[in-house]
Amino acid sequence: MRVLVLVFVLLCTVLAPAAATAQDAAALRREIEQLQKQLQSVTERLQRLESQPPAPTPVAPGTAAPRPAPVSPVSPIDLARPREPYSLYQQRGAGQLLFDIGVAGDFVANLTRGNVEKAGGGTFAGLENRFFPREVELSLFGQIDPYASAVVRIESGEEERAGELAVHLAEANLTLLTLPFGTQAKLGLVRNRFGYNNEHHAHDLPWIDRPNAFRIFFGDEGLNEKGLEATIIPDLPVYLEGLVGVFNGDNEDAFGRATLRAPLVTGRVRTFFELGSEHGILLGMSVANGQTAERLPSTILGWEGRYKYRPDGWLHPLVTVTGEALYSLRKVDVDVDSDGDGVTDSLDRKRRNHWGWYLGAEVQPWRRWAGGLRFDWSQYPQNPGYEYSIEPYVSFWPSEFLRFRLGYKRTDRSTQTREAFNLNDASARRVDEILFQATFILGAHPAHPF
Amino acid sequence: MRRAIPILLALCALIAPLVLAVSAADKIRVVTTIPDLKALTEEVGAKLVDVESLARGTQNAHELEVRPSLMLKLRRADILIENGLDLDSWAEVAVQGANNSKIVRGAPGRVDVSRGIQVLDVPGTRVDRSMGDVHPLGNPHYSLDPGMAPIITQNIADGLARFAPEHRATFEKNRQAFLARLDEAMARWTKALEPLKGAKVVVYHPQWIYILHRFGLNQAAALEDRPGIPASPAHLTRVIRQMKEERIKVIIVEPWNDLKLATRVADEAGARAVVLASMVGGVKGADSYIAAIDHNVNALAQALR
Repeated sequence: MRVLVLVFVLLCTVLAPAAATAQDAAALRREIEQLQKQLQSVTERLQRLESQPPAPTPVAPGTAAPRPAPVSPVSPIDLARPREPYSLYQQRGAGQLLFDIGVAGDFVANLTRGNVEKAGGGTFAGLENRFFPREVELSLFGQIDPYASAVVRIESGEEERAGELAVHLAEANLTLLTLPFGTQAKLGLVRNRFGYNNEHHAHDLPWIDRPNAFRIFFGDEGLNEKGLEATIIPDLPVYLEGLVGVFNGDNEDAFGRATLRAPLVTGRVRTFFELGSEHGILLGMSVANGQTAERLPSTILGWEGRYKYRPDGWLHPLVTVTGEALYSLRKVDVDVDSDGDGVTDSLDRKRRNHWGWYLGAEVQPWRRWAGGLRFDWSQYPQNPGYEYSIEPYVSFWPSEFLRFRLGYKRTDRSTQTREAFNLNDASARRVDEILFQATFILGAHPAHPF
Repeated sequence: MRRAIPILLALCALIAPLVLAVSAADKIRVVTTIPDLKALTEEVGAKLVDVESLARGTQNAHELEVRPSLMLKLRRADILIENGLDLDSWAEVAVQGANNSKIVRGAPGRVDVSRGIQVLDVPGTRVDRSMGDVHPLGNPHYSLDPGMAPIITQNIADGLARFAPEHRATFEKNRQAFLARLDEAMARWTKALEPLKGAKVVVYHPQWIYILHRFGLNQAAALEDRPGIPASPAHLTRVIRQMKEERIKVIIVEPWNDLKLATRVADEAGARAVVLASMVGGVKGADSYIAAIDHNVNALAQALR
């Protein structure tokens, strides 16, 4: 019996904690299940709350809605008042810059005959039969404050054969965005909005080279001036943009007086028509009037037209046609050798009214490939003669940020063209060139208008 | 000079009625970047707003051509409503060419409806363009996820009320009425896709993540090698193999993407290419917000069965 009691006591001693442990485990399991349910319920509630917007601001019942205030143009007080919400770069996290940075690299190669190289008569004069960085550009752009934005572009490129790479300021300007009556003003160093292609940097052009007429009339860099441009877009049912600008007139090829006492004044009018959703036509006319370094008047008129056919749903245009014409009216001093001894005896002031134009068409049947053709014809603003060229090319884009172009350009210059002959004992009357271009973009690059 | 004055007067006489006709409009002139936001703004603003969209439903909202006609629309706008998250960053170029101080960045007339959105696909590591045309702020294609409509419409109502505070109650009432209709439709959509929860799909461009996530579907692969980069043959071969192995039945294609390529891949993999409305108006019949989602849900449910 004693033994039985002992065994019973022993069993109770051993099993009691086990039973208690089992009870604890069951309780714990129940507790965990309960907590899991609670967690699930809270998670679901949280998800529901997160998918709902914050409650709207309550409106006092019975409050009569005040009559809508008439919408007036922006007053000076409005301009001075801080904007709300001040959403400038609200998406950006800490440590990020308050402006965008982009780098564009544009490399060009051209191959031509030895006589053209010797005469320096190729498209990239002095850089024939070379592969060179034409334009490596650092762009900084963004909002200055709620009222203005700014752009700074610093460029480098090879300008002479195997020479040092020069770095220069290509653009630095600010745009006042909140002026009244549909106006805006841009001031600083700008690429002038004269015609279509002048405002584009070389890497953004739809061709490998800038059209001949623009290179001949404005120089290799185009019209790039310091001053002020103002635009107005009246509130009309049709798009109409008017532009007026006042600049120093530093461009030595077309003007060169370089003073605000006799400023370069520019103007442009542009309109745009849509023929259905697939066709668009941009038409414009520009004028630039100033004085040359010799204080002689110089006026250049420009006309532009651009057509695009973009089938509905296409990611790129199928057909693009671009054309521009320039008409230069200027007075020049011409050397007169009255006795034929080869020495200038006097200067004769003459009027020179000369033309230049180009027309280009591009077809892009696939997203990555396009092919095109450009025809150029141009006189020289001061000298007799003319030249024309034809340039077929193909473009290939591995992506939006990388592009390769290959082209052939044939240029013929008339026999009166002084610059074509006997340059370094060589002739560049007829020029055949193979052109290659590689362009990349790093970082930010804003979309380009039509 | 004597001749010029009558010509100027005649021009003024011609232009004046046009100017007056334009300024006579008494509705709030709203421009949205994409048609989804136009549809939602019309629901919130109803008769008080006149809404235009810069992009059409059949276009790729990433790469819109900035035409002067867009600038003309923006020139007259009181409010610009944008999707944000870098989807419609092209709008900034159009705004800068529109000379309208009411809608420049930071002005009260500029409304970004991505505020408050729980953004998916936000890169957790450093991103660069080797990853394609990646969106550093996250996937911006949230607008056709019906679950996001309460937040989007709240942002729209706030933006409209900033311009016309006297109509805030009306905007909120319209919004609630629309959300009630959306709730009814949501029940229908949930019911249609409930049996297909967990199903895998292949997309052409990774822009469906929000709606797939909403209804419990999974994106298994994309035809684009990387976002915005056309697919290489090797990548397509990999996708076809994966579709066969995982028995994926559907490739979702945007109206602006290459349907022929998607169909070819689908045929190889024994699947179907389905065109969904990537934006309102993207396909026939998808001409309102609810109709666009109706189309997408029905097309998906039918293809996945």
